[in-house]
Amino acid sequence: MDKSFYTIFKTFFKVGTMLLGGGYVILPLLQSELVEKKGWIDSDGLCEYYALGQSVPGIIAANISIFVGYKLRGQIGALSAVLGIVTPAFLAIILIASMLEEIVNLSFIQSIFWGVGIGVIMLLFLATKEMWGKSIVDKFTCFVFFASFILSACFHVSPAIIIILAIISGIVYRKIEPKIEEVQPNILEECEK
Amino acid sequence: MIYINLFLQFFHIGLFSFGGGYATLPFLYHIAEVQKWYTVKQLTDMIAISSITPGPVGVNVATFAGFATSGIFGAIIATTSVILPSYILVIIISKALEQFESNKNVRAAIYALKPAGCGLLAAVGIDMFVNNVNLLGMFLFAILFVVSMKQKRDPLFYLGISAVTGLLAGFLHITN
Repeated sequence: MDKSFYTIFKTFFKVGTMLLGGGYVILPLLQSELVEKKGWIDSDGLCEYYALGQSVPGIIAANISIFVGYKLRGQIGALSAVLGIVTPAFLAIILIASMLEEIVNLSFIQSIFWGVGIGVIMLLFLATKEMWGKSIVDKFTCFVFFASFILSACFHVSPAIIIILAIISGIVYRKIEPKIEEVQPNILEECEK
Repeated sequence: MIYINLFLQFFHIGLFSFGGGYATLPFLYHIAEVQKWYTVKQLTDMIAISSITPGPVGVNVATFAGFATSGIFGAIIATTSVILPSYILVIIISKALEQFESNKNVRAAIYALKPAGCGLLAAVGIDMFVNNVNLLGMFLFAILFVVSMKQKRDPLFYLGISAVTGLLAGFLHITN
């Protein structure tokens, strides 16, 4: 099977073009392109990379692409995959952003933005709800949620500091409450969905 | 030097954002408040456009914020530096995959990171709600909320309803 820089780039470029709204559609897209059409990896492998992609910081779609690209052809594969997934997003935004200044002052565009702003808050609410379902599993995780929320909303603490505090608290908590390991999900369990 | 600062800001977003999709937003929101490279209102517009543009939302909105800060060169730096930590970490992890998956500290960290990412996103959502939503906005939000309770829908569905409502409200001069 052809695994040249260009082929890998082209495949991920196609996936990047079809990704719309939230990253949650990436799994079926990769399933169709990488598993069914190209046969580069199998379903279980893809599932594993999907789960791993969520366990690494950064943009999940990019993480998965780098994992798969690296598996296919090492550094070259990783580079071509990430360029492929990012380029459509980059070009689309450059195009829109350069036209934006001319249209943004039109009053009907302002009205649309006003409405869409409310829609965005709704999307944030839905994303929070979905993350809540996946991440708040016991008293400790509930505490971390409210502590992060209060530090950010009331005290405007930098998100990076909150994330570092969360990492430390998780590791310390495991030391003082070793039985908690049963609750901590295995990274690969994410695959089930 | 704006470009170095831009690199550092977006690199730290890539390194610390957890939870995908909208996880970069708390960081971009913080930048709007502290660095003032763009306003919160501009960020809301960027998120809206990014949600209906091809590509991962996190990449779209990083490119956009970089462009808003210092044009096309800013966009290139922002996009590259938000991806760079992922690139480095994924390659390191790929080389030691089994140790990573079974490491107890990694699992404990992820266990605590997920609710923290969720709390950060909730804080942004509430802040945006309090600062941007007037009476008519609350009415629109309530409708969207009721619709979302009935069944799960595509993000584009909510943005579509919101855009049409905004357009109508604009014609009737009632958005403010």
